[in-house]
Amino acid sequence: MSPIIQSLLLVTAQVIVLLTVSPFLVGLIRKVKARFQCRQGASVFQPYADIAKLFRKQPVISTTTSWIFPATPYILFASTLSAGLLVPTFISQTPLNFSGNIIALVYLLALGTFFLILAGLDAGSAFGGMGSSREAIVASLTEPAMILSIFAIALTAGSTNLSTIVHKTALLEGIATDPSPHLMALAALFIVALAETGRVPVDNPATHLELTMIHEAMVLEYSGRYLALIEWAAGLKLAVFLSLIANVFAPWGIATTLAPTAMGIGLLVYAVKIAGLAVLIGVLECMFAKLRLFRVTDLLGVAFILALLGLLFFYILRS
Amino acid sequence: MAESRSCDEVLKAAFPSIVQKDEVQKEFSHFLVSKDLLPAITRYLHTQPGLHGRLTLLWAVDNRPTRNTYGLHYLFTLEPSHRWMLLSAELAGNDRLFPSITPHIHAAQWYEREIRDMFGLIPQGHPDLRRLVRHEHWPKGTHPLKKDFLWDHVLGRQQGEHHFRRIEGEGVFEVPVGPIHAGIIEPGHFRFSVAGEPIMQLELHHFWTHRGVEKLFEQQTLTAAVPLAERVSGDTTIGHSLAYCQAVESLLHLEVPRRGRYLRSLFLELERLHNHLGDVGAICNDTAYALPHAHCSRMKEQIMQLNDRLTGSRFLRGVTRVGGVAIDLTAAQLAEIVAEMDRIEQDFSELESIIAHNASLIDRLETTGVLTERTAWDHAVVGVVGRASGLDQDLRRDRPFAAYDELPVKVVNYRYGDVRARMRVRMDEIHESMRLVREVRLKIPQGPVAGEPSRVAQTGEWALSAVEGWRGEILYMVTAGENGTIQRCKVRDPSFVNWPAIQWAVIGNIIPDFPLINKSFNLSYAGNDL
Repeated sequence: MSPIIQSLLLVTAQVIVLLTVSPFLVGLIRKVKARFQCRQGASVFQPYADIAKLFRKQPVISTTTSWIFPATPYILFASTLSAGLLVPTFISQTPLNFSGNIIALVYLLALGTFFLILAGLDAGSAFGGMGSSREAIVASLTEPAMILSIFAIALTAGSTNLSTIVHKTALLEGIATDPSPHLMALAALFIVALAETGRVPVDNPATHLELTMIHEAMVLEYSGRYLALIEWAAGLKLAVFLSLIANVFAPWGIATTLAPTAMGIGLLVYAVKIAGLAVLIGVLECMFAKLRLFRVTDLLGVAFILALLGLLFFYILRS
Repeated sequence: MAESRSCDEVLKAAFPSIVQKDEVQKEFSHFLVSKDLLPAITRYLHTQPGLHGRLTLLWAVDNRPTRNTYGLHYLFTLEPSHRWMLLSAELAGNDRLFPSITPHIHAAQWYEREIRDMFGLIPQGHPDLRRLVRHEHWPKGTHPLKKDFLWDHVLGRQQGEHHFRRIEGEGVFEVPVGPIHAGIIEPGHFRFSVAGEPIMQLELHHFWTHRGVEKLFEQQTLTAAVPLAERVSGDTTIGHSLAYCQAVESLLHLEVPRRGRYLRSLFLELERLHNHLGDVGAICNDTAYALPHAHCSRMKEQIMQLNDRLTGSRFLRGVTRVGGVAIDLTAAQLAEIVAEMDRIEQDFSELESIIAHNASLIDRLETTGVLTERTAWDHAVVGVVGRASGLDQDLRRDRPFAAYDELPVKVVNYRYGDVRARMRVRMDEIHESMRLVREVRLKIPQGPVAGEPSRVAQTGEWALSAVEGWRGEILYMVTAGENGTIQRCKVRDPSFVNWPAIQWAVIGNIIPDFPLINKSFNLSYAGNDL
């Protein structure tokens, strides 16, 4: 098989996996929360139906908006999906590993957030503006924590390429014996993941209270297929973060070759890992109230310090 | 009694020109005052240490058909003795001006604006004469409670714009919220002025769904208007119908049998329970802590289903009637209620300890939306909100009605005035209500549950009545008309006095905390807008 065809096949497979798995994760978290509240809850497949329904609905666009408003859902969806292609899911080789590394991943996600912030302001409603300004605070604080935590890992693996990091970790090649930097970075990245995907205790995706929203306030003006794309992109972002956490910190079981059995096992293990993480998020959401808006900075400060400690530990332990 | 007599003497000594009326109603002192004296005398009542009067109700009556006057009535509660003191003034002939007492008594602010909208009487010296109930699109000169305004008159529409108070400056933004909201709640408009996230000012613009309840009362007969009273505020069926019935009963000199009074207390407590349970859950839910919400909703549902089994109505509609209650409960049903209480209380106590031990939740509730005792007093705040701000008041203890003279109530009181205090008041009252329900079962006597009226009310006779509903004091003033009709019925839901206070509780808080503060007040939009 020529490398180009192989690469194309990998891209296709990864796109399919990410797109199918992401609504399921959202549904799974909702289901866990419902069960914890002694409710039956909607089916875990409800988000698929919601997205399908939204695609059939006619979108309504405010007359005061500019080109940014209709363009944002596509930019957001495309950038999140591209970011997803930089993260190994069931196979340690990432489809786009020739073209980007961890830093590209972080800024592809930031690109989507940036446009979403602009779109929130675009319609000129008070809620959109509030959501945008809050998202800007959160995004600017998560970014350094995210970069540092990933650097802590990159240093241990000696590469910023996620594929290489995962591959090496999976085969336990060249990994420092002490797991402290990893654990620090894991904690930091988990907090970042909660903040970036708008989960409790930073944001509440289930709220109907416009005044408390962050992510939901920015997208209040969206409807129809635009909203479908945004919801799907939000699910994708969750999938990207969970894949990142699962595979960077516990890559075992991931397919390291292109053998069909290895890929089969890889797919199964991947599904179990991210479902486990989704359940964990669901449980956490049942245990905590949302933080006051200005306490979010404290939480993200903790994430940053943890990531920094991870980085320091690496140097201390090495010498 | 001696103490209250001396209060009368103090007032008469300070204002020799006022006339004390010795009417049938012995439960309060009634003075006739000339309108020019109103600001001075109300200020004296409000600020004099021995009197400590709280403005409880302020209403106007259109007496033009009979006496060619408008009547103004100021009801004060003297806090030390919980005694009522009523001041009445008249505007004769074409006089449409009356002096505003708002500059000294903030609590009068909305009452006076309401009187202006409903009767076209103008409170001179009122700091804020914008329309309150009549939105700007109501045609000029529309004053629905005037006797010459037809109840089925269809209003036209005019162009008009409401002017909000503005704060201007660099970085100050206005955030308009409502009247349409994302959740399923009633319509209300909130206008915030913010600098970043902290709130500098909140202004309410409510009264979007005026139904003309007080006008509708005037089309009913005394004994037939109970269903209307039940629907003034959908969540306070018993509270409103009971207050209305008590006023009518005192007009008809009707004694409610003891068993009827016990059952009234029982149903009032059941209503308090399902609303408080819902509120505790909803407060937690607004911090995204959904677990207590799910459980509280279940417990609330259990009580509403119990209501349904007992009375055929989840909201206890059709239970109260003039003279008593419409349904009697068997001993087995009383036992069923108590058994349900035991089950729910066990679950609730468990939930309470989960809530109390959740640091992330308590962090959200503490110091959020503080209503100081001073502000609460100035605005004459009532009910749960008042008791959370250190105002020690509960009509069930202070002016016992129904069977509360034989069922002493332990009044819950917290000082801090934050969201947590308001939640704690509700939690403690849930336990207290359950205790009362059990006590009703033990003490309830046998006998009839309702009495029949033996007398017709004379035209112009009037009566006041007060009930401690789950939200707070509900007041009714009913004046009898000819042939058993209603000439005037003044309704006051606790929401009407507590809404303005929320504007002060939010100052300095951040916008995302507002829904939580609002939920902890949980005021009615419909009961506010009659």
